Amino acid sequence: MDDTQTAVPESASQLFAAFQRGDLASRYAEVPGWLAALPDAERLRAGHLLARLDPDDVLRAHPTTPVLTLAITGHGTLAPLLAPLTMQLARHGLLLRPVVSAFDGYVFDLADPTSRLYAEKPDLTLCVLDPMVVLDELPVEWQPADVARAFDEKVQLLEHLVTEFEARGRGVLVLNTLPLPRLWQAQLVDLGARATLGALWREANARLLRLAAGHPSLVVVDLDPFLADGVALIEQRLSTYARAHLSPALLAVYAAEVGHLARHLAGRTRKCLVLDLDGTLWGGILGEDGVEGIEVADAPRGEAFARFQRVVRQLGSQGVLLAIVSKNDRDLVREALRRRTDMPLREDDFVRVTASWRPKHEALADLAEALNLGLDSLVFVDDSRFECELVSRELPAVAVVALDDEPASHPTRLLSDGWFATRGLTAEDRTRVTKYREEADRNDFLQSFDSLQGYLRELRVSVRLADAVESDVPRVSQLSLRTNQFNLTTLRMQPGDVHQLLADPHSRVLTIRSRDRFGDNGLVGAVFMRRSGPDVHIDNFVLSCRVFSRGIEQACLSTILDQARASGARAVHGTYRPSARNGFVHDLYPRYGFERVPTAGDHADGDIACFRHSLAEPLETPEHLHVDADPGEGTA
Amino acid sequence: MITIDEFVELLRGELGLPLTEADTELDLDQVPGWDSVHLLALLSVLEQRTGAPISLPDVLAATSLRDVHTVVCTSAPSPRPAG
Repeated sequence: MDDTQTAVPESASQLFAAFQRGDLASRYAEVPGWLAALPDAERLRAGHLLARLDPDDVLRAHPTTPVLTLAITGHGTLAPLLAPLTMQLARHGLLLRPVVSAFDGYVFDLADPTSRLYAEKPDLTLCVLDPMVVLDELPVEWQPADVARAFDEKVQLLEHLVTEFEARGRGVLVLNTLPLPRLWQAQLVDLGARATLGALWREANARLLRLAAGHPSLVVVDLDPFLADGVALIEQRLSTYARAHLSPALLAVYAAEVGHLARHLAGRTRKCLVLDLDGTLWGGILGEDGVEGIEVADAPRGEAFARFQRVVRQLGSQGVLLAIVSKNDRDLVREALRRRTDMPLREDDFVRVTASWRPKHEALADLAEALNLGLDSLVFVDDSRFECELVSRELPAVAVVALDDEPASHPTRLLSDGWFATRGLTAEDRTRVTKYREEADRNDFLQSFDSLQGYLRELRVSVRLADAVESDVPRVSQLSLRTNQFNLTTLRMQPGDVHQLLADPHSRVLTIRSRDRFGDNGLVGAVFMRRSGPDVHIDNFVLSCRVFSRGIEQACLSTILDQARASGARAVHGTYRPSARNGFVHDLYPRYGFERVPTAGDHADGDIACFRHSLAEPLETPEHLHVDADPGEGTA
Repeated sequence: MITIDEFVELLRGELGLPLTEADTELDLDQVPGWDSVHLLALLSVLEQRTGAPISLPDVLAATSLRDVHTVVCTSAPSPRPAG
């Protein structure tokens, strides 16, 4: 199987050759696949080339590439962050538009409302802090009390800057903890004073980390766990001579964290973890060793697999969908999942178990379809290099985590990339597996009906439309971020953005909840509306893929139109903005009686389609649905 | 040891700078696409390639890429004794 090793240099040379030929921008769509095949060091090399590309050249060749404007400010020399950040975003299919601030410019950037940083309206603002922020302030001869004073002042300053950012900026601000360098701790010869320094230093960092709880726009990256894993904090020569106070290795892992955050902000967080069985979740080969023979407990290797299973289950408990795709006999797999009660993972933990002898890329494609997810929502984990290479080649949108024959390393390999990073879990996340399983039950139920109408009648769907309240904010934001298919304008909203809408008297955020005979679906959608004179505008309409094709969208529009007419509105306007994934709702508005109208203003964005409903004819609610709605007020 | 041709190839291949040997004579301010951050990236590439530590203050004091190359060539092939 060693022939697979050739894939690495081939992929590297493709990227480097494309750059030399000058067609890297035009082949940007292939870059994520090339980068995925590269080892870390080669990826960082590639970052230097990607950072040389002009984002406009990439957009000319690939106009639908999602662009994120990233402001990079902070203390010390930050330009070395640019190449790894560019590469990390490219890896996720995103395009970086960087705004790099002047050296040590963060206070000015964040405190001055007229700063260039605010003018550029970044989606993500990185304020990169290093320990010298505090240590530069110390007198030549110092005591722990001097450090306490200096650090306290900086935390207060940062709190103030975060408040300023929330008042003036948009998007998300990222701070990071300041790890304590051994070089400074060791300058104290009194071991008691060292302990004091260690305690006060961590208390100040804890204050930084706690800031995030009170500020919805803030993310604080904790650097300490990376240092504990052996990443160097400082490269002394770069710190001393070039004032680059964080080592290149630490900047590289920081950039990877930011890459996953950017992916999340762009609505591309992965949702489903697909696992192989033999050699991945347990040791041995089920078909040969039998249900009792596989290693998953007791013996040392068995313990290692059990440990990995506990990590997988921990992810599952937070809303990551777990599935199995294994080349195995189906009945034997069921038997193993049921009879091996000593395994941490049980059959119920998985939304789908696919055990067959088909090629894995076909099984993965079926799985994605059954769960109504895009392939770019899947993370596939396998210990077989053959299967990993096959899936990478056939389905480049799937993230592949390659394990090896050392199960003790499985957890580290699985978690080295933050594929499932999110900015806050909601109640829906905790029960997601149940909901997707219910969906599978509904599909089986559907098979037993001759007509869709008969099915829908028996499904007994009821819909509740209500004005969003404070407690809905996290889930409404999450829907706008995670939903890709039924998302009419792909307007991504952070929790802070939703808060602003709730406070705006001209806006209305309508939440959609649904339930049926199989259970409660929870908060499954939202409509973002705005009243402007005699007209109602639907700025966005999102609906979870779990509840498509049940008439819920029609019921919502019907209610919105009725309420608009009752409030004396003249018309209701809707907009469709195409994205890579929302093609199937391109005709949502015309399907329900809206007429296409010319795009308002001279938008350069020629792809936007605008629609208008004159309210002359009411839109029926589908007969199989029961709708219960909050009364529309002055806004809609 | 690294020749000037190899040096230019590193600048082109690793940093993506479209340079020729003639550009190495230019003042760093005049080099197309040059940014001081490239010095730090270049230093790490060169140290990996030659296996010898290179003096960062000397590199930072260089005014042309030819100067940088000279610094690299005068670096010992193995770690220098302290002092």
